[in-house]
Amino acid sequence: MSTADINEKHPLDLDQARVSIKKPETRSDIQGDLTDQERVDTAMRNFVKDFGAVAATYMEACVHCGHCAEACHFYVQTQDPKYTPIWKLEPFKQAYKREAGPFAWFYRALNLKRKVTTRELEAWQELIYDSCTMCGRCSLICPMGIDIATLVGLARHGMFQAGLVPHELWAVAERAEREGSPLGATADVFEDRVEWMGDEHEVEMNIDLDQADVMVTLSSIEIQKYPKSMADLAKVMNHMGLSWTFRTDGYEATNFGMLSGNSAWQRDMSMKIIDAAIKIGAKTVILPECGHAYGALRWQGANVYGKPLPFRVRHISEFLAEAAREGKLKLKKVDKSVTFHDPCQVSRRGGATQAPRDVISALGLEMRETQDHGDYNWCCGGGGGVITIHRADPIRYKAFEIKMRQIDEIEADLMVTSCANCRQNFDDSQQHFQWDRKMESLLELVADNLIEDPA
Amino acid sequence: MSQPETLGLQLARRGISRRSFLKFCTAMASAMALPPAMAAQMADALAKAHRQSVIWLSFQECTGCTESLTRSHNPSLESLIFDFISLDYHHTLQAASGEAAEHAREAAMAANAGNYIVVVDGSVPLKDDGVYSTIAGITNLQMLKDTVKDAAAVVSVGTCAAFGGIPKAKPNPTGAVAISEIVTDKPVINVSGCPPIPVVITGVLSHVLTFGSIPELDHLGRPLAFFGETIHDRCYRRPFYDRGLFAKAFDDEGARKGWCLFELGCKGPTTYNACATVKWNDGTSFPIESGHGCLGCSEPDFWDGGGFYKALSQGNWGTAEGIAAAAVAGAAIGTGAAMMSRKRQQSMVQEHGESEGGTLK
Amino acid sequence: MTLLEFARGPGLQWSLVILAVGMMWRLVGILALKHKPDFSEPRAGGGAMFAGAVKTVFTRMVYAKPFRTQTTLASLLSYVFHIGLAIVVFGFGPHILFIRDLTGLSWPNLPSGMIYLTGVITLGALVALLIRRMTHPVLRLLSNFDDYFSWLVTVLPIATGLLAVAHLGARYETLLGLHILSVELLLVWLPFGKLGHAFLVFVSRATTGAVFARRGAAT
Repeated sequence: MSTADINEKHPLDLDQARVSIKKPETRSDIQGDLTDQERVDTAMRNFVKDFGAVAATYMEACVHCGHCAEACHFYVQTQDPKYTPIWKLEPFKQAYKREAGPFAWFYRALNLKRKVTTRELEAWQELIYDSCTMCGRCSLICPMGIDIATLVGLARHGMFQAGLVPHELWAVAERAEREGSPLGATADVFEDRVEWMGDEHEVEMNIDLDQADVMVTLSSIEIQKYPKSMADLAKVMNHMGLSWTFRTDGYEATNFGMLSGNSAWQRDMSMKIIDAAIKIGAKTVILPECGHAYGALRWQGANVYGKPLPFRVRHISEFLAEAAREGKLKLKKVDKSVTFHDPCQVSRRGGATQAPRDVISALGLEMRETQDHGDYNWCCGGGGGVITIHRADPIRYKAFEIKMRQIDEIEADLMVTSCANCRQNFDDSQQHFQWDRKMESLLELVADNLIEDPA
Repeated sequence: MSQPETLGLQLARRGISRRSFLKFCTAMASAMALPPAMAAQMADALAKAHRQSVIWLSFQECTGCTESLTRSHNPSLESLIFDFISLDYHHTLQAASGEAAEHAREAAMAANAGNYIVVVDGSVPLKDDGVYSTIAGITNLQMLKDTVKDAAAVVSVGTCAAFGGIPKAKPNPTGAVAISEIVTDKPVINVSGCPPIPVVITGVLSHVLTFGSIPELDHLGRPLAFFGETIHDRCYRRPFYDRGLFAKAFDDEGARKGWCLFELGCKGPTTYNACATVKWNDGTSFPIESGHGCLGCSEPDFWDGGGFYKALSQGNWGTAEGIAAAAVAGAAIGTGAAMMSRKRQQSMVQEHGESEGGTLK
Repeated sequence: MTLLEFARGPGLQWSLVILAVGMMWRLVGILALKHKPDFSEPRAGGGAMFAGAVKTVFTRMVYAKPFRTQTTLASLLSYVFHIGLAIVVFGFGPHILFIRDLTGLSWPNLPSGMIYLTGVITLGALVALLIRRMTHPVLRLLSNFDDYFSWLVTVLPIATGLLAVAHLGARYETLLGLHILSVELLLVWLPFGKLGHAFLVFVSRATTGAVFARRGAAT
């Protein structure tokens, strides 16, 4: 397929509040032409082939208490038991028991766990993709300490190889692998837009420098939908007087290989950034306001690379907090109250929960936490690739109601986040519900309140 | 030998008053848990009864059962029973010996064929053709078979006769068995105990004489009237068990205070007998009252129960080495299973050429 | 051989052997699978990971505040029956003797009346949890043979134990035999079903605790 072919088959839709491909007239949620049997075998094989002791422990420890349901925004908002997080893994549990568990031999010999059928896996596509953002809230409620989100990630490996990925997610992942961006932000587009933003905001842009201490990356959502982020990043870097650069060979921090479940693509996408950073001798790679990018590079990058990375990986909120702490950021005080929406992958699953709060306090803002916040924050409902899937819109909106309720309760002047995907979900849901609040970017807030040295 | 004279006449002739006879009957009725009104009926029935011919056979035994019956206090109610029965053969008690004794047995059998009762104490050795115990050159097995042939009923007195007892305890060198294993075509009443309580023997014989039938028995052939409840249920130390107050040693504070002996191995909870209510030595006491746990002597295989001082709730679980070996074996199998799974995973990756890729662990 | 003799002798021996083989098989079978090294730069190093592992074993005993309202009833009932079981198993004189016989460890017992009451309450909590499992839509969907059978083998020792002390239904030695056998059934089933969480809970919680502590995230 050529690029023209993708554009024809799965055209992007960049003018909406939510950027994805256009709503497909006829869905094709099954890819490739495997037989039913091959599909099941492939799914199960790819689910268990990466199984290690940790995942196996999780698979074995469940006591079916059902409490994970209470932590899941999709269950809580619909009360439909099929959205119980651990249920989303049911067919994969069976695969594990047959293929990799300690009593696997018995299960196979005595046929105690029947083989899963293709129809079941097709039915489970909705549970593995549409109704799981891998936000990991369920991982925190589990009395056995099972990290269910990790297991859903493994299940996606099986689903991808079996050709059972939702249409849109598959299309954007495929596009990302081919063009370097899931949303059409190719290197050329990126370069153009960097230049445009430099002109627009009168800020000096560094792109494709041969050497730099700091390599700054972006998410396609920012490049395409929130391009001011590029200017904001440049402003902050320049303000701090750093040696920094964007790189056209390593700018895209989103990893739809990981989200869709293709480990080979995940590697390709991560290696672009890693190679570019090594090439220019970067000491730090800054990840953009994007949730899953953080998980992909900060916690999985080195493992994709196969050894420790020769540079630090920091989320922009961590980087800003560090700079503020070290006095490298001179900020105006903002006399307003604010609430922060924690991106799941950065806070709960990334451990950088405190960083944005430090930045907010450096801005002199009055912090108003929502009822459940920080590590226990409710997911916006759009992560894990869910937002790309048109079919999932109704439950995504349903899940979003929790956010609206909790944010309305605290009546803060501003609401900010540091994830462009959360932000576009807020924008889209705002439009859907005709809600009167606007989600803003933490980075932008910092960039807009820098005290520029007149000298 | 036995005259067609009724017991009533005989007792009167011997100067036993109706008052003391009624007292005996009341005691019997009470021991057998019959309604009080039954005492008078029993007295009437017994008074009209003829003396019962009884042949007492002693096999592999220690004479403890006979001692128990005869060494009771004097004058005893139990001794009255000897007035009701004609003990035609009992080689410990009878004056005759040798040929004469055996003739007495044969004569009694002939005279009362179909009506006499055989009382047995001791078990019967079967190993090596029963050579381990013979009387007058006759093996116990042979004598039992011969004697029982024309008997009305058999009473197995003592745990050896009832369940094989100590001779049958591991390793059972003589191949001892209970009487009921040999006598299968006649009613066998088991009066177990090592030794059995004298009044139980008396009670059973009184019942047979009074009602002309055998008393109601439990599943082990023991009269329910005496073996219906556990020692534990009727034990005066039971409240201490219920409160969880246990003696931990025979000389500790708990033992002095009379707390429950469960932890010191008392078998009361699984032992059915009347010791706790009837007691011994003219109602003086029973073993638990003198500070020792019940041995469970009226139960089958009480000698092989894992030790008199091992509490009931303790198991015979083998050795720690056995469990450790099992754990090591389990670990080995587990390692094997994991290696097999790893190999399967490896082959999945190789055969299908899919990159191992991602790093979700 | 009577039921009681079988229960106290070969039954006990074999159930302990199966427990030991099964549990080691399962634990080693899991832990000997691949362990992938984590090359990511830790936010907190080795000591913190260990602390996180230990901490999580304890912190997950109580639901975090944001989850409490929805989980109160079930966790209360679970607590009642877990603690109830512990009181009955470790507080009853005859049970302590059983354990002393196995392990050599001994401690003072609780009043038997308290044990009986606890047994009844424990049974009540388990029945309530079964009703919950059979009526709650999520639990109905999740539940399988393992869940119900594990419930049964947990309830049987309590039920037979109460019957034995009350001398209800059969002769004491039969009830005691059944009681010991029911415990043996529990021991035999434990390694193979979800009751294995008695061991796995530590592995699972500690694993997550270590992984998340490494990231500096909430555990």
